[in-house]
Amino acid sequence: MAGELTLQDVSLQFGGIKVLQDVSFAVEPNQIFGLVGPNGAGKTSLFNCISGHYRPTAGTVLIDGTEVQGARPATLARHGLARTFQHPALQLHETVLENVLLGAHARLPGGALEWAVRTPRTRRAEKELRAEALDLLERNGLGWAAHLQADELSHGLHKGIELCRALLMKPKLLLLDEPAAGLPHSEVETLIATVRRLRTDDDITVVIVEHHMGLIAALTDRVVVLDHGAKLMEGTAAEAQSDARVIEAYIGKDAADDAA
Amino acid sequence: MASSPKTSSPKTSASKTSASTTSAPTSSATTSSASSFRQRPWVRWGAPLLLVAGLAVLPLVMTEGANDTLARIGVFAVAVLGLNVVMGYTGQVSLGQIFFLGLGAYVTAYGVQSGWNIVLVFVLTCLIPAVAGLVVALAAARLGGLAIAMVTIALPIVGVPLAKRLSDFTGGSQGLSARFVEAPEGSGLYDDQWQLYLVLVIGGIVFLMTSLLVRGKYGRAFAIVKGNENVASSMGISPYRYKVLAFTIASLIGGVSGFLYMVVVQYTSPETMSFGHSIELLVAMVIGGAGSIVGSLLGGAFYVIVPDVTNAIDPSLTALLQGALLLAVLFVLPGGLVSLPRALMRRLRRSPAGRGSAAPPTTPSSTPGSGTAAEQSETERQGHA
Repeated sequence: MAGELTLQDVSLQFGGIKVLQDVSFAVEPNQIFGLVGPNGAGKTSLFNCISGHYRPTAGTVLIDGTEVQGARPATLARHGLARTFQHPALQLHETVLENVLLGAHARLPGGALEWAVRTPRTRRAEKELRAEALDLLERNGLGWAAHLQADELSHGLHKGIELCRALLMKPKLLLLDEPAAGLPHSEVETLIATVRRLRTDDDITVVIVEHHMGLIAALTDRVVVLDHGAKLMEGTAAEAQSDARVIEAYIGKDAADDAA
Repeated sequence: MASSPKTSSPKTSASKTSASTTSAPTSSATTSSASSFRQRPWVRWGAPLLLVAGLAVLPLVMTEGANDTLARIGVFAVAVLGLNVVMGYTGQVSLGQIFFLGLGAYVTAYGVQSGWNIVLVFVLTCLIPAVAGLVVALAAARLGGLAIAMVTIALPIVGVPLAKRLSDFTGGSQGLSARFVEAPEGSGLYDDQWQLYLVLVIGGIVFLMTSLLVRGKYGRAFAIVKGNENVASSMGISPYRYKVLAFTIASLIGGVSGFLYMVVVQYTSPETMSFGHSIELLVAMVIGGAGSIVGSLLGGAFYVIVPDVTNAIDPSLTALLQGALLLAVLFVLPGGLVSLPRALMRRLRRSPAGRGSAAPPTTPSSTPGSGTAAEQSETERQGHA
């Protein structure tokens, strides 16, 4: 069951600096939703407000109709919200498989004492999720790397591992923070196919922050453009790309005039 | 997503792995043969059995002095293990671990003197330090970072005068002694042998359970709380809860080490939990190897053996030698003594003689350029973005 996300007048302020101002939009279940805007527009801050890492100064965030602003990130994660980070933070001295298994945390039963004596229940669960993690890696073309140490692999592969880690959480709502940043062209194509499969096969609602307009245009049903912390426009990716205000925000007023 | 079937990525990845196996024969060959050796059933079951059998015979054949030293190593290895749970694995600085050893020792001594059942005494020695640790952690873990270290410093500093003041329970500065571990009649064992058996059995169970805990679900959670709290929380792992849990477990293990301390030393005083000893435990953990089960054993050995050796020569040397060893380990072996074999292997592999002798003679094509090929595959991997 895919998640539904609604933001109503979300504002975020650090001291006197207004990072986000009255941002509202709604992401329907099973949509792929884009969040674009120039550097410093507040996209990642908005993600942090949704995932609970920041608490919005004002406004409401609703996931499946429940108000979640101010809830702790760990609580939200256990209720089906997963996210990736701009800079994938992996345990570099662990194997790829161990890194992905971290995503299984909330799905593994048992308390500390049970795990200290390894009851059959914990053994079985660990075995099952290990198989599931391997399968997930395999399906994302990373099966060959499962037993390698993470620091032996490239940045692009780290992004794939991080995505697998998030998917092992079995989320209903997935936030991807710049998934294509630093990827070579061929891998962007693969990424597009992967995200499409998340919608069709896994029934996940996806929100993407991305600069790569090709990826946004190929994937998203709708986009919101942010500039200086405020919503500039909302529509399809094609509408955004031809919108004069968006062009101005990206390349400046004078250049936009020249182009026109 | 890293490689699509249409593009050439799978091929490059396959060639990459094959290149690395042929070009770096020493590393992959040794590790794979070692792991397959470890996975053979007779090794998997035989090695632990052999170890247990060896430890079962050891107390019978060693001298009384050696038995006593080994028992004390066991006591402090358990204390270092507890410290490792909170500090080595979860990354929270704790400078108060000795307090929980002292608390456990006092609970044991008081319980024995009051004539309570020894099993009840042992349960209390686990529970009381654990609850004390839980209460401290509930407050301290909210603060984060250095603040936790500051709060934990307070434990031994408050603990020593408290133990002197509460003389009804602790015997004040005189301390408490409790003899409760005479070898059972008819067993034919001497007291030192019986004590060592107790330490080996109880300490062994604690080590076994802890080594299982720090793998799997909880091990991964502790490690990510140490590594990156934002990632931890986005995986549904509350950093606060897991810090409190780690601290509580460390305190519980500290309490068990206090029980074992009474088994071996049979006397405790406020001096047992002095701040200096707490720092020595920390040094022992770093020298043995932070975040390592075997490192905890080595740390316990360091804690006991270095003062034993220096006291025989000149007691004033103890602190000096401990400090010098700490500096030496930090500079040469940041991973502690436990990382020594790996560091040696790496050194051997890097030296041209080691590499030349280890290169397989059957594949002459890879031998002459093995070094450069390995470097190339390394850069290729890093450049593959």
